[in-house]
Amino acid sequence: MPENSISEKSKSGHSIRASGSCLASKQQPVPFRGGGFVPVSRPWMGFVVFFVLIVFLEAGTRIGFISALTIPKPSDVLNTFVELYSSGLLWTHLVPSLMRFVIGAAIGTLLGVSLGIAIGLFAYVRAGLVPLIAALFPVPKIALLPLFVIWFGIDEASKYALIAFGTFTPMVVATYGAVDNVDRGLIRMGQSFNLSWFSIVRKIVLPGAMAGILSGLRIALAIAIILLVAAEMLGAEYGIGAYILQAGSLYDLERLFTGVAILSILGVLVNSAIGLVEKHVLRWRG
Amino acid sequence: MKLNRREALALMGGTLAATTLGTPAFSKNRKITVGALRFTSHSASFIALERGYFQEMGLDVELKFFQAATPMAVAIASGDVDFGVTAISGGLISLADKGAIKVIGGVLSEEQGIDGQKILVSDAAFKAGVTSPDKLDGKTFGMTTAGSSFHYMGSQIAAKEGVGLKFKPLQKVGAIIGALKTGQIDAWSIVPHIAKPLAGSGAVHIIGDVSHYLPNYQVTTAFTSAKNAAEEPEMTRNFIAAYSKGIADYNAAMVDGTLGDAGRAEMVDLIHQYVYAGKPREKAAKSIINGSMRLNPGVAMNVGSIEKQLNWFKSEKLVNGTIGLDQLIDTNYVKTL
Repeated sequence: MPENSISEKSKSGHSIRASGSCLASKQQPVPFRGGGFVPVSRPWMGFVVFFVLIVFLEAGTRIGFISALTIPKPSDVLNTFVELYSSGLLWTHLVPSLMRFVIGAAIGTLLGVSLGIAIGLFAYVRAGLVPLIAALFPVPKIALLPLFVIWFGIDEASKYALIAFGTFTPMVVATYGAVDNVDRGLIRMGQSFNLSWFSIVRKIVLPGAMAGILSGLRIALAIAIILLVAAEMLGAEYGIGAYILQAGSLYDLERLFTGVAILSILGVLVNSAIGLVEKHVLRWRG
Repeated sequence: MKLNRREALALMGGTLAATTLGTPAFSKNRKITVGALRFTSHSASFIALERGYFQEMGLDVELKFFQAATPMAVAIASGDVDFGVTAISGGLISLADKGAIKVIGGVLSEEQGIDGQKILVSDAAFKAGVTSPDKLDGKTFGMTTAGSSFHYMGSQIAAKEGVGLKFKPLQKVGAIIGALKTGQIDAWSIVPHIAKPLAGSGAVHIIGDVSHYLPNYQVTTAFTSAKNAAEEPEMTRNFIAAYSKGIADYNAAMVDGTLGDAGRAEMVDLIHQYVYAGKPREKAAKSIINGSMRLNPGVAMNVGSIEKQLNWFKSEKLVNGTIGLDQLIDTNYVKTL
């Protein structure tokens, strides 16, 4: 037996050598092992998941194994939305909320980006302000709402302030992180070409930091939508957040879910808008 | 002493028999949870617990405290709380509409001749000439949430005076007080034990009584889950009986004063354990005595007032327009007024 196996081995060794020598005649097909691990676009899948979930809830609430206390019928939610739209109340609620979102987020993100860039560029600003930002970031902005009411009044200004404050800190952190991550090699290249400081900032640092700033913007704007509900806790008669809070206090699940769905749609829209901006601004990445 | 198995079993059986036979049918010492707010209008809960009236009825009561009316209603619907006492809110009616809750009795009432809830205005509004409720036109009125009792009171006052009010939701009583003190809102209405100290500080002014606009207003009601009301009549009856005793003690000591100063002082001590517990006794006593409003004897229910409130919620489209009064209340347990 051992003898036999040795002879087998030598045979196979021989055969390898043989195949090496006549490569062209005896080619073995090697299966392609690459591929996978790449995000592939399957846009319909998201809709399928939503569809299955909604059909399940609809069936459950209709048959009755999900009680009316736990989840409203999706069709009732849709009806509530249609009613809201046809009565014109949708715009009465949506317009003030969008105003608060746009103004608050604009103030917060503009200030945040400017300060973040300043921190990224100047050592003294960084040393002085990074600890302050770190101290402000974890403060629950909702807890400060009563204080903001005293500072800015119960009307729109306190709502802008809350949303601005909530978007400001994540924007600062994302921006100075992005400035720090700009390729040093590119900056040195600019210096060796004798570009002015201002030119380096404008042509290398800012475009290089843009990817990080925009992903920070995604998070900041999502926070702004969350804070919309908090901002409208105090003294708002109209607004999507006020609508949701009112539905909650009336235990009106259909209206509650309608309001939440509107916020979700707003979130999806904002996200895809940033996607478009990314495509445009980050063209240079190829 | 050594027991063999038969003796042990006999002993176990005997113990069981002794505990079941030795007590009347109702005292099974059932553990129940009662929801309350830290307001003097909830004193009957505290009295019935402290003086053992619940225990006498075989109810082992644990109090659970809430910040507002609607969360308590939701907790009853979810089964975490068995009985609750708060104002009728839109949330409560919606839950009754979904078949989760029934109102089984009435507790706090406005009664002419007894100091009731007050209408307050901020100092700024008062100086600007809002010295009586008919001058409230175009002013802002504070409320916790849409469909709360404040919303109801404000709109009833406005309707009767023919003035227009703007309602500002501020979620919490504390936030409303802050907004009123700083003049962010113009007016509000609240129970006297909160209204009087506020007015005493000079930051706000009392300009009228709620009872003038809503005579015999059934402010708070006792309610339970629809399941308890339908399937646990014995437990519900026992709760009502114990609660009635608490109410009787409270009315005698605090509203009618039939027990004299000593009886009142004793009652204040009891209530002080639950309301204004953080304040010293002398300060708290004033507020507790100030806040004495009549609680309905026998937890009697003022059906007329409840129906009026229900109709208002329906007309404001705060609740489903199809809910009927019989879906909201169960009149099997108490007298109706």
